[in-house]
Amino acid sequence: MPTDIQTLKSLGLFEELTPEELNRVAPIIHPMKVGEGEILTQRGEPATVFYVVLKGNFIISFKDGRAFTLHERGDIIGWSTIVTPFRYTGTAVALTDGEALTLQGDDFLQTIQGESSIGDKIMKKINPIIAERVPYFSRDAARRDLPPAGAE
Amino acid sequence: MENMFLEFFSNTGYAMADYRHVVMILIGVTFIYLGIAKHYEPLLLVPIGFGILIGNVPVFKGLGLGIYESNSVLHYLYLGVTSGVYPPLIFLGIGAMTDFSTMLARPLLMLLGAAAQMGIFLTFLGALALGFAPNEAASIGIIGGADGPTAIFLTAKLAPELIGPIAVAAYSYMALVPVIQPPIMRLLTSRKERLIRMEEPRVVGKREKMIFPIIGFLLTCFLAPAALPLLGLLFFGNLLKEAVVTERLAVAARTSIIDSVTILLGMTVGASTQADVFLTSQSVGIFVLGALSFGVATASGLIFAKIINLFVRTKINPLLGAAGVSAVPDSARVVQMVGQEEDPTNFLLMQAMAPNVSGVIGSAIGAGILWSFMS
Amino acid sequence: MTGLEAIAAHNGWAIAAVGVSIVFSGLTMLSIVISQLYKVLDFWERRDEFFQRMKGRGAVEDVPRITVSPDMKETVRQYRMLADRLGKPFSLPRLLDLARKCGLVNPHSTINRLLKQEIIVPDGEGYYHWHQSISS
Repeated sequence: MPTDIQTLKSLGLFEELTPEELNRVAPIIHPMKVGEGEILTQRGEPATVFYVVLKGNFIISFKDGRAFTLHERGDIIGWSTIVTPFRYTGTAVALTDGEALTLQGDDFLQTIQGESSIGDKIMKKINPIIAERVPYFSRDAARRDLPPAGAE
Repeated sequence: MENMFLEFFSNTGYAMADYRHVVMILIGVTFIYLGIAKHYEPLLLVPIGFGILIGNVPVFKGLGLGIYESNSVLHYLYLGVTSGVYPPLIFLGIGAMTDFSTMLARPLLMLLGAAAQMGIFLTFLGALALGFAPNEAASIGIIGGADGPTAIFLTAKLAPELIGPIAVAAYSYMALVPVIQPPIMRLLTSRKERLIRMEEPRVVGKREKMIFPIIGFLLTCFLAPAALPLLGLLFFGNLLKEAVVTERLAVAARTSIIDSVTILLGMTVGASTQADVFLTSQSVGIFVLGALSFGVATASGLIFAKIINLFVRTKINPLLGAAGVSAVPDSARVVQMVGQEEDPTNFLLMQAMAPNVSGVIGSAIGAGILWSFMS
Repeated sequence: MTGLEAIAAHNGWAIAAVGVSIVFSGLTMLSIVISQLYKVLDFWERRDEFFQRMKGRGAVEDVPRITVSPDMKETVRQYRMLADRLGKPFSLPRLLDLARKCGLVNPHSTINRLLKQEIIVPDGEGYYHWHQSISS
């Protein structure tokens, strides 16, 4: 079931879209329920689904044990669906029950590339988030001196 | 009756057209194709492309139809170009949609935007050497600023007769940034350099972003007052965006105003490329120099970034120099693309926006300087 | 007239040199000013603190204490023990993994509660530590 326009408009990612543009993207966005402990994305796997958090709390973890958590409505998970090489850089797990909007990667990419005005507005929102998250999975991060996984 | 029919036929475009009209119509169709099918700057190439079609339907002179006839509708619309009204309005919209944060976070990168403006002045010299008059050479040189509105603004002031070819050259090369820049970038940088990661920019406060357009406006316009129409509206638009309380005006500037003006500017500039005005040896020279100008601008930015690296401890990725060519945001996207070819986890886009937007300021200052020298 | 002769005749060299210099000096000036702008604003925002320090009345900042509810005390103790095995700062996914292996109930939502109550605090670099007021 596609998402209603009001819900989309209330999310930071889509707030700059015009009503017409919202109508274009709405059909490719679908809500889903998430259960505690559910894995949304797996690091290294092909990035096929993009999520926008509606409710709930999530953790995204990376190779060297780094992680950050998401608690706000409108937070995004799975930007790798629209950035080469289209593989998830982190593993996202639900810390609590929650709800999210999902966009299939192909549809999302096609919309962004096909409608430059929509693409620009959405990428303007996503780019700072990517820049913010880069340190968590960049190579420098791997140099951090921490006990290896499984040492416990 | 037969005579009437023949007379009517002789007055149609089919009878009046010659090979030059066909060439121009093909160029127009190519623009439309590149815009729609290849997504190369569709918001510009589609209006310009259709404008080329409009301008190249052969019409009777004296009926008030052609863009160069003083009483025609197209002529009135074209007044916005020749009087230099449209470009500053576009700058207003650009200001209202530009986020200067990355530039404010890393001011050193602004110098890359300055370096890329070398293209303007070297092409100016090249055009003089090819025999163009100084005012024409200045208008051709500004193509290297990679900023369509700036190129049109300066040409309208200095060499209005060249607006068509210069605008088409500027916008064509802007659309072709993803094709023109990468080979130069790969040629002038080593793999090791392309792999350099940039430090994460600091977070820029709202107050800082609000004060910047005022300081930026005063500093640059006091230095180059001739850039006032462009930079004044650019910084004004940015203030509307950052002031928050004027959000409604900012939205109008970055949507309805810039969109309306882009339609009118693109379409009339396209229509100004009538075959008899456009298909000249001068236009060929302009296109050659324009391509050269883009290449020189890209190379200047890259080389200057490498020079900066000789003096700073934290190296900058020299690819960012290519973003000094102010085609916003295409050249920044190209930097991101070329950087990611080497390392998919290296995100240079936000960093590249710094020289990119400073290039806009730099090319407007360059235009102001050339205008004041030539007038 | 063409070539170098044309450039010289139209004063091209001088125009280009002056033009490039003005563009550079304009953007350099702007770059210097904006590189200092945030420092000035920062100072302005902390002017009271600065003047207090000047007067020698700088107060030592207290770490706000976290009050742990009685029902959370045992949970905090358990998770604290596990986290201590991971070093300082510790990795949150590893703590989660360890809690799951040890059979603790609802490790995900428990960790979420610890985060929300700021008992576990991010260090800003992807790792976590216990709030300073929670003793071992």
